[in-house]
Amino acid sequence: MTFQQFAYRNVIRNFRIYAAFFMASFFSVFVFFIYSMLMFHPEIDDGFLGKVPIGGMVFAEITLVVFSWFFIFYSMKAFLEARAKEFAILLHLGMEKRQLSKLVFLETMLIGSLSIICGILFGYAFTKFFFMIVREILMLEYLPLYFSWEPFILTIVVYFSAFVIISLVSVNFSPERNIIDLLKRYNLISINDKYSKKRAILAILLMVISYILALVTNRMNFYPFVVLLPLLITIGTYLFFTDTTQFLVQIMKQRKNFFWKKSRMLPLAEQTFIMKNNGKMFFVVTMVSSAAFLCVGLLAALSSYTSQYDKLNPLGLIYKGHIDNPYENAHISSILKELEDKGLSYHLTRFEVKKQTSSFTNYEVEVFRESDINSLLFSYGYPMVHLESGKGMFIPYSEDSIKKLSKKTVHTVLKENNVPITIDQVYPELIFPSSIVSMNAIIVSDEDFLRIKRPYQWYPQVEPGYHLFTFDIPQWLEAQDVGLPIYQQVAKEYGKERYELPFYFENAGLNYSYVLSTYSLFTLVGLLVAAVFLLAAGSFIYFKIHTNLDSEKRKFDVLKRMGISDSEIKRLVTSQLFPQFFLPWGVALLHSFFAFFALQNLLKDTANISIVKEIVFAFFFLILIQVVYFYLIRWRFIAHVKN
Amino acid sequence: MAILQVNDVTKVYEGKVTHRALNQLSFEVEKGEFLAVMGPSGSGKTTLLNLISTIDKPTSGEIIFNGTKPHLFNKTELAYFRRRELGFIFQDFNLLPMLTVEENIVLPLTLDNQPVSLMEERLKDLAEKLGLSSVLNKRPDELSGGQAQRVAIARALIHEPAIILADEPTGNLDSHNSREVLELLSKINIERHATIIMVTHDPIAASFCDRVLFIKDGEYFNEIYRDDRRQTFFQRILNVLSLLGGRVGDLSTIRLP
Repeated sequence: MTFQQFAYRNVIRNFRIYAAFFMASFFSVFVFFIYSMLMFHPEIDDGFLGKVPIGGMVFAEITLVVFSWFFIFYSMKAFLEARAKEFAILLHLGMEKRQLSKLVFLETMLIGSLSIICGILFGYAFTKFFFMIVREILMLEYLPLYFSWEPFILTIVVYFSAFVIISLVSVNFSPERNIIDLLKRYNLISINDKYSKKRAILAILLMVISYILALVTNRMNFYPFVVLLPLLITIGTYLFFTDTTQFLVQIMKQRKNFFWKKSRMLPLAEQTFIMKNNGKMFFVVTMVSSAAFLCVGLLAALSSYTSQYDKLNPLGLIYKGHIDNPYENAHISSILKELEDKGLSYHLTRFEVKKQTSSFTNYEVEVFRESDINSLLFSYGYPMVHLESGKGMFIPYSEDSIKKLSKKTVHTVLKENNVPITIDQVYPELIFPSSIVSMNAIIVSDEDFLRIKRPYQWYPQVEPGYHLFTFDIPQWLEAQDVGLPIYQQVAKEYGKERYELPFYFENAGLNYSYVLSTYSLFTLVGLLVAAVFLLAAGSFIYFKIHTNLDSEKRKFDVLKRMGISDSEIKRLVTSQLFPQFFLPWGVALLHSFFAFFALQNLLKDTANISIVKEIVFAFFFLILIQVVYFYLIRWRFIAHVKN
Repeated sequence: MAILQVNDVTKVYEGKVTHRALNQLSFEVEKGEFLAVMGPSGSGKTTLLNLISTIDKPTSGEIIFNGTKPHLFNKTELAYFRRRELGFIFQDFNLLPMLTVEENIVLPLTLDNQPVSLMEERLKDLAEKLGLSSVLNKRPDELSGGQAQRVAIARALIHEPAIILADEPTGNLDSHNSREVLELLSKINIERHATIIMVTHDPIAASFCDRVLFIKDGEYFNEIYRDDRRQTFFQRILNVLSLLGGRVGDLSTIRLP
């Protein structure tokens, strides 16, 4: 038996021991390869992904590489730890450290090569399926499977070098230990349950403070918070897992009437040990899971935004200008010409909107004329508005406002012209996107509208109204290039501190193409990163448990002798494993819950969409995955300690 | 009255190589007796102990325990039986490393859902008797071997079991600590009328018992009863051991008391 044969037989005959490490490597390769297939897709140059910047994909790929290297390194360490006793026997028999490195290197290369080959084979087999999903998500016409050497070479190079480097590093940099310690691991487990009470409390304080800050986040304080919050939460989480958990367990242990009960004593005492040894790992898992949750949540939010887009933006083009806007005629005729050149049908409505002061609130109201609105409603195919003199109707500014305003009745007088109006209804659909109309916009009858002669009370300091040109275009997506020069002027002005142009222009088709491409990028990057993160977070815990299986088995052997039934073993295992799985996730969920709260506050000002439903759904799905994973591990664990 | 009857117990391990570990072994243990089981390596001592402790079942024959037959119980009943009727002392102590000394001691009562007041009462009593009061809040890894074994004995006693099973309790201890532990066991045997079955290699340990049962290749070989002087009892044990086929040197080092 040569040395190479020895390494080979080690792996092949004990494949079960190597299976966990193999699976971890295999999955990394698998995901990486599929993603590379997409990145190197020949049609990416033809812009098949819309405007998804290739830079974003490369960034995701790099994240993936770094993370999977870290992941393999960690699995490797856990794997070597689990085999410590086997190595001790070899060292005992007189193996040199150098030979041991060589053995580990050979074995790792064998497993590594196998996982690269299997990963690529399975990856290639599943690429078509992945492409189908991508095609659905990005609403592409077609995305064919192709064959090219680049993804293969990239995957092989990245992972082969990873295995070489990691196997060399992990053996040569592992701490020197005595053979005797390795042989008698269980008896030498020393327990150090020291913790600092101050730090334990500091952790809770930091977390509470950052949660409160997240609750008060808004657009004004967004920038300092974006730096401060992650910093606070990171430190807080770290201390939480190193000290606070110990502190809490200690408090519970001191209550003997609580602690000295069958279902509590063993699992709780075990937590001291688990948290002490794995606190840092749980911290990493928590942060990584929070990031993954954020990714998934953002995706859900974005997808709800895109799906609601045409409802929120019923109009193809909107041009809004001051009453004395000098460019009005030129701009409108150029837009009309472009539309006609493209052969797009449209319905143009011109609105003259007047500002007045309401006696009810003493604030300004924007007054629309019934016949103007009806002209637009006609092109939408919505029901018309019929108002008697003295009656008014609210124009909703968001979906939510429809409900709110429908219950409201206001008796007001338009002060400047002494026109009494009773507003007791709301139009049941969104007519304008929320960026165009103010929150106080009403429709009045033509008769009343003509009675408004005197301008707004603050005229001429404040504009007394505006002209609005709406283009209802059935094929609004195709109008995305219309009015591009005007759009660019507006976009440029937006970057400045004050908006001084006498006009404003919005192109829903163009905006939508931006939203869609951002969304596609986020989906691709986010889903992938989230998948890898979640996989890794779960596997970290799995490896840690795997490493300790032998001493766990010893413990349960003692307990079984002392008389513990199978159902009690199950219960013990459940309560021992439960915190490991769900504490990091619980904290991560809490973190991301508050992060979303902050996000919702920010989005409220811009997009006016609610992401609660999507987030709840995404979280529910994630928890479901974790529960399945938990039961899987629990099942294996029980099977192991029972026999 | 016999608290334990072992009747024609045979244990065969099936597998790639069939192995008969015990062969029609029969003996009885009286209540309050301190019995040592001796025999060379591979004679079936550990198998016997596993059968008595109900974590293994005999291939044929029966073990009657105070009139009941545990091998007819289902798994859960067996677990309850072990936690109430049996106490265990192991060679390598097997204290749970994450529990403190007092938690380790009360563990059997905890498993049985007894009230905390009862635990504390018995704990106090035992800790005083076994000289463990000063280490109650320490962890097992902070204890010396002798202390650790005394903790294990306390754990085996706290639920007042009908039989205490000890597997080489002095195997990992030095002569001083061995002696201390053995004296403690015989004191418990006398004061509490506890029935103890001890498997051992060590003739000195065996000389502390009332009776020594010798088995060889899974079969009954001989038994001898204690007399007035431990010294002569020890000598007789050595004689039987040398008769047992193996040489005295096969057995563990002999330390004269």
